[in-house]
Amino acid sequence: MTTILETRSLCYSYGDGTQALRDVCISLEQGRKVALVGPNGAGKSTLMLMFNGILRPSNGEVIFRGRPMSYDAASLRSIRRTVGMVFQNSDDQLFAPTVFQDVAFGPTNLGYSAEKVSRYVGFALQYVGLSGYERRPPHHLSGGEKKRVAIAGILAMEPEVMILDEPTSNLDPASSEEIMEMLDELNSGGKTLIISTHDVDLAYRWADEVILMKEGSVARRGTGQEVFGDSRLVKDARLKLPLLVELYQELTGRGIAQRSAPPRNILELCDLLQPKAETETLGRIYICNVDGAEEKQISAVLERISVSFKGAMGTSAKSLAERCGISMDFTYGVIDKCILKALLGKNCIILTSGGMVDHIMKRIKAYGQESGRRIEATCLCHGTEKLK
Amino acid sequence: MHDLLDDYAHSNALRETSARLKLLLGLGAILLCVSSSSPIAPLFIALTMSLATVRLAKIPARFYCTLLLIPSSFSILSAVVVAFMHGGGEQLFALNLLGIDLGIREEGGNLALLLIARTFGGMCSLFFIALTTPMLELFSIGKSLGLPDFLVELSMLMYRYIFVFLDQAARIHSAQVMRLGDAGFKSTLSSFSMLSSVLFLRSWEQGERLIVAMDCRCYDGKLDLMDQGERAKPAAIIAVAVYLIATAAIAVLTRNILIL
Repeated sequence: MTTILETRSLCYSYGDGTQALRDVCISLEQGRKVALVGPNGAGKSTLMLMFNGILRPSNGEVIFRGRPMSYDAASLRSIRRTVGMVFQNSDDQLFAPTVFQDVAFGPTNLGYSAEKVSRYVGFALQYVGLSGYERRPPHHLSGGEKKRVAIAGILAMEPEVMILDEPTSNLDPASSEEIMEMLDELNSGGKTLIISTHDVDLAYRWADEVILMKEGSVARRGTGQEVFGDSRLVKDARLKLPLLVELYQELTGRGIAQRSAPPRNILELCDLLQPKAETETLGRIYICNVDGAEEKQISAVLERISVSFKGAMGTSAKSLAERCGISMDFTYGVIDKCILKALLGKNCIILTSGGMVDHIMKRIKAYGQESGRRIEATCLCHGTEKLK
Repeated sequence: MHDLLDDYAHSNALRETSARLKLLLGLGAILLCVSSSSPIAPLFIALTMSLATVRLAKIPARFYCTLLLIPSSFSILSAVVVAFMHGGGEQLFALNLLGIDLGIREEGGNLALLLIARTFGGMCSLFFIALTTPMLELFSIGKSLGLPDFLVELSMLMYRYIFVFLDQAARIHSAQVMRLGDAGFKSTLSSFSMLSSVLFLRSWEQGERLIVAMDCRCYDGKLDLMDQGERAKPAAIIAVAVYLIATAAIAVLTRNILIL
C-alpha cells in the first residue's frame, strides 16, 4: 500500500488565535475508506480543508504522494483536481443555475473542450443516477439529489481522493444509505475516500480506518473495532459507542457471546449469536451483471430462476430494475442482506453492474472463509451461466 | 411554499419551444403595443397572449389572473388621473366636487383607454415570456447577442442565489412569526429590519463560501453556459411570423379608430 496523503506536525490557528489543529501527524493509504470522527469543534473540517490546500497550515506540512504541498497557483490547481471536496451543505457547493452547468464547472475550468466537457458531465451524472436532470435548477432538487449533483461535480474532474464533509447529514435514511453505497462503489473503483461524520454507527461499519479527533489533535487511529473498543476515550470525545459495540459488550458481560473483537455488522452479530450448525441448507446467491442488458433479458432471467429476495446494487442496476417494473427487496447493504437471507436457506439475486461483480464474489468468498459457511454464488452474465 | 414565476417557467407546456422564438414573439408584441395609436391592437394582443399563456403553455388561469391583477390595478389608477387631466373634445362626464369642476373630455378618455390597453397588452406579453422561458435561457441568448461574459456570469450567480436567500428569508420570517414577531406594527417593523440585516450578513458569508467552493473546483474564470436548447421548428416560426404580421396589420388598419 502506498501512502497518498500525509501530514507532519500540522498546526493551524484562526485569526482570533484559537488553535484549530495541534500537531496533527497522520498518513493515509491509497484506496482506503477513512472516517474522521470527533465532537463539534474538534478540527475535522479544518483538517479536511488542509488536504486540498484551501487552508494553509501555520506550521508543519501536508504531503501528497511524497511531495510537500506548495501553494502557488499551478500546484494548487493540480492538487484540487486530484483531491476533490464535497461540502456538508450542498447549497454552498451548487452555485450554478442548472445541474449541467454545475457539474461542468470543474471540467470547463480545467480547460477541456466543449465536447469533452459534456461527455464528462454525462458520465458523471449517469454515475450518480441523475441522467436527464441536466436542465433542472438546483432549487428544484431534493436534498439527496443535491448531494448527488455535488458528488457528480467532483467526479467530473476525476479525482484520486474524495473528501466528504458529513455526507449524510440532513438526508433521509434511504438517501444516506444510497450515498454511502455509491461511495463504496467509488472506493472499489480505486478512489481513496475521507469522510467526516458524527454518526458513529456509520463510521464503525463503513470505514477501514477511523481517526478520532479531539481538541485539534488526533486522539486515536485504527480500525473501527480498535477506536470504538475504548469506551472511556469515546465518552471523553463526546461521542457514543456504536450500537453493535454496546450490544456486544452487554452480551459478553452476560457470557452469551465471546469473540476477540466486536462484530462489525449485523451479519457478524448474527453469526456470533448463532454458531454454525452441523447440517445447514444454505441458499444460493445469483449475481446478475446488467451491463448492456435489456429489460426483456432481465425479466427473462428472473422468470427462469426462482429467488425469494431480489437486490439491486449501483445506480445503473437500480434504474434498470425500475424500468422493468420489478420491485427490489434490497437497494442498500445488499450483499450482507443477501448473505443473511442465504443463511436462512433462501435464494437471492443481486442485480449489479459489471465492475461490482468481482467485489461481490470476493465478499461472499471472504465471508465463507471467515465463518466456514460456504454460500454458493453464481454469476449470470447475460443469461450465460458461469459457476464460480 | 412559494408560487414562483420561475417554477412555472421550468414546467410549462412551452418549455421545450425555442427560447429565441418565444422572446421574439413577446418582444414583438410589446413593440406593437407601444407603437399602436388605437387601443384595439393592444387589446387584441392582450387577449391572444393570455390565451397563449393559459391554453398553450398551460399556466393555471387562476394564478395568471391574480398575477395580472397587480399591474392592472396600477394602470387603471393612473389612467383615471390621465382621463381627468387631459382636455379637448366633447365633455363626456362632469362632476362637481366641493365647488371644483372635474370633468372627462373626449381626448382624455381616449388617452386613458389607450394607456390601459397598452399596459395590459404589454404586461400580457411580458408575462408570456416570464412564464414560459427560464431566466437562464435568456442569459444564454444575451451572451450570444454579445453581452459581456462577466455580466452574464454575475447575473447567473445572482440568479442562483436569489433562491437560496429567498429560502433563508422565508425561514427567518417563520422563526419570527413563531415567536410573535408580527404582533403589531412596531414589532413587524423591527422584525423586518432584523431580517434584512441578518440576510445581509448571511449573503456576505455565503459569498465567502462561494469563493471556497469555486476554488475547490479549480476556478479559472470560466463558467459554462447551457446549450441553447431546442432549435425553433419551421411551423412555429411561421406561426409567430403570421401572428406578428397580422397584429401589425390590425394596428395599421385601426390606427384612426377611437373608442369614444
